[in-house]
Amino acid sequence: MAGAAMAHANPVLKLYKSVIEDVIEGVRELFAEEGVEEQVLKDLKQLWETKVMQSKATEGFFRHSHHTPQFTLQLPHNFHRVLHASAASVVIPAGKGFQNFSAGDMGTSRAGATLTLPSGIVYPIHVPAGVTLQTASGHLYKVNMPLMVTQATGDGSILHHPVQQILKPLGQPSVLQASIAGVARVSASSVQAAAETLQPQEPVVQQTMVFQPNVMEKAHLENSANTALVQQPSVSQQQLGTNAEWNQCADSTEKTQHGDLRTTVFTPESSEVCSPAESLANNSSSVLLDVEEQLDIDPQELVQQQVSDDIIDLLITGKSLDDNTVLKDQDSIASSHEMEPTEQMESNLRSEKDICSDIEDIIQLDGTGDVFPKEETPHTKDREENEFIGIIESEDLKVLEDEDEEDDDEDHDSISDMESSSSSEDNEEPQIDIVEEDPLNSGDDVSEQDTADLFDTDNVIVCQYDKIHRSKNKWKFYLKDGVMSFEGKDYVFAKAVGDAEW
Amino acid sequence: MDADSDVALDILITNVVCVFRTRCHLNLRKIALEGANVIYKRDVGKVLMKLRKPRITATIWSSGKVICTGATSEEEAKFGARRLARSLQKLGFQVIFTDFKVVNVLAVCNMPFEIRLPEFTKNNRPHASYEPELHPAVCYRLKTLRATLQIFSTGSITVTGPNVKAVASAVEQIYPFVFESRK
Repeated sequence: MAGAAMAHANPVLKLYKSVIEDVIEGVRELFAEEGVEEQVLKDLKQLWETKVMQSKATEGFFRHSHHTPQFTLQLPHNFHRVLHASAASVVIPAGKGFQNFSAGDMGTSRAGATLTLPSGIVYPIHVPAGVTLQTASGHLYKVNMPLMVTQATGDGSILHHPVQQILKPLGQPSVLQASIAGVARVSASSVQAAAETLQPQEPVVQQTMVFQPNVMEKAHLENSANTALVQQPSVSQQQLGTNAEWNQCADSTEKTQHGDLRTTVFTPESSEVCSPAESLANNSSSVLLDVEEQLDIDPQELVQQQVSDDIIDLLITGKSLDDNTVLKDQDSIASSHEMEPTEQMESNLRSEKDICSDIEDIIQLDGTGDVFPKEETPHTKDREENEFIGIIESEDLKVLEDEDEEDDDEDHDSISDMESSSSSEDNEEPQIDIVEEDPLNSGDDVSEQDTADLFDTDNVIVCQYDKIHRSKNKWKFYLKDGVMSFEGKDYVFAKAVGDAEW
Repeated sequence: MDADSDVALDILITNVVCVFRTRCHLNLRKIALEGANVIYKRDVGKVLMKLRKPRITATIWSSGKVICTGATSEEEAKFGARRLARSLQKLGFQVIFTDFKVVNVLAVCNMPFEIRLPEFTKNNRPHASYEPELHPAVCYRLKTLRATLQIFSTGSITVTGPNVKAVASAVEQIYPFVFESRK
């Protein structure tokens, strides 16, 4: 109940917080110019915040430390088998400690079962392999290797997006599950091992690592139907090496890669390539064996292959894509099998190339040539991306939405303030009772209808309108992007519809 | 006889339209922002102000001309118009209530009998015009009174005239003719 209320009021509070922040930031320079101390600004902020809290217009959390990550874990139907076998539990750290959800809870889940993370969970979250994450927006996010989901920072969210983009079309649970099943069967033990090995690991390149396995998995899943070869790298990738291994392979692959991100991205790939080279030998699948040979042959080429698997496309620019083609050419040892997926994925590469360029645009957020306050342009950009992509954390989107709303509200408020101030000036002019031929006799024969005016209610809505319609005395309101104070509480809405009679 | 029958008929005044002038320029924007129960039609440059007490809708122009509609009697129309001017004065404008004039009165009257319209039209050639394909009523114009009557076959008659008196006399005048062509 409290959680629900908190979730409900949270966007409002967030909005207000961001409003306060923006105003303070905007005014900071002015204050400095005027020679007013920074302390005054701080006091102002404090006063403002306390006032907001006191008004009880929202539930007061002074510092929004509560994120309600809206994640649902969608478990594949055979996940429970893996779980049971591995006896691993979904480890989701909450706050400082770890909360363990028993495998039994999830073991009974069937295909498509969802697990909603409880509210109050704070990042980082550790999600084991074989889990499909479904965000509140409904985007599926399949995890074939254990990963750490960290709290989104400004940079993190950027990285999120490319991942989400790739993952967005992944709306085929059947494909997922099929691939998961295939992968799980093949590498059930390896998954377990990977899950367990990963748990103690918290590499520095945590964020990047988080996403690329997902990305890789996703890419693999996309093409899983095409070739077994695709599965092969996924299997191999599942077996993560240690940090040491990653570092080793990083050096080897560095020269072929461009950019730090890509380097780190490729690192685990290559590491995966290196490490499971031997372990894969144990697998019975002939396809695997073939790939193993290829793996043994040239890690670089495998890296190429993985590159072509377009996982990293998200983080790759056009340059890297060119590299892929170059690498492809260099791949003399590549078998026909290898080439096929490469070619198939090339189309994927190209399609994602545009996304990559967009992503790069996101990274450079600093509002070049903005007219509006700096938040608006980047946020609108992000908004487009969000519509386009999928959101790993709805909170981020909420914040962005709130800030968009807040911008609208700010504009609206400022306008209304201006108008009211100008009108009040007019009211202060002296009102002369004019004696005329037909004198109005202020108040004499004509009684005043002030009852309507005195209706000043406490419930106020400040918003924009889509449409206001009237028939006789029946009114219909189609409103958007508003803040309303209703019975002392503040609410924020993106759309509101109303009926009224006058 | 006509007068007697006329008395029996109840003429319902449904609408009285009047105009008046405030003799001062009105800032529509200000009215729109500060006035109560106002609709600002910026595209046509009008402000509609609705009153509750006499159910009246006033169309206000920036020139100071105001048209007041919806009243059910002339007195009510004047009353409402004054109230409107008063509220404008309250908003801060130097309003002078001048040139009040009732422009149009719309009334409805019901005959206890039905009417044969084609026959009626034939008998009242110059004044009556009947185009059934366009409108189901006969349009009867009384030039002297400057009143227009719409006569329906059901016996219902709609009268519009410059004032209530004209409307009443128009109904009186038409009664015998309509009575002739009754069913």
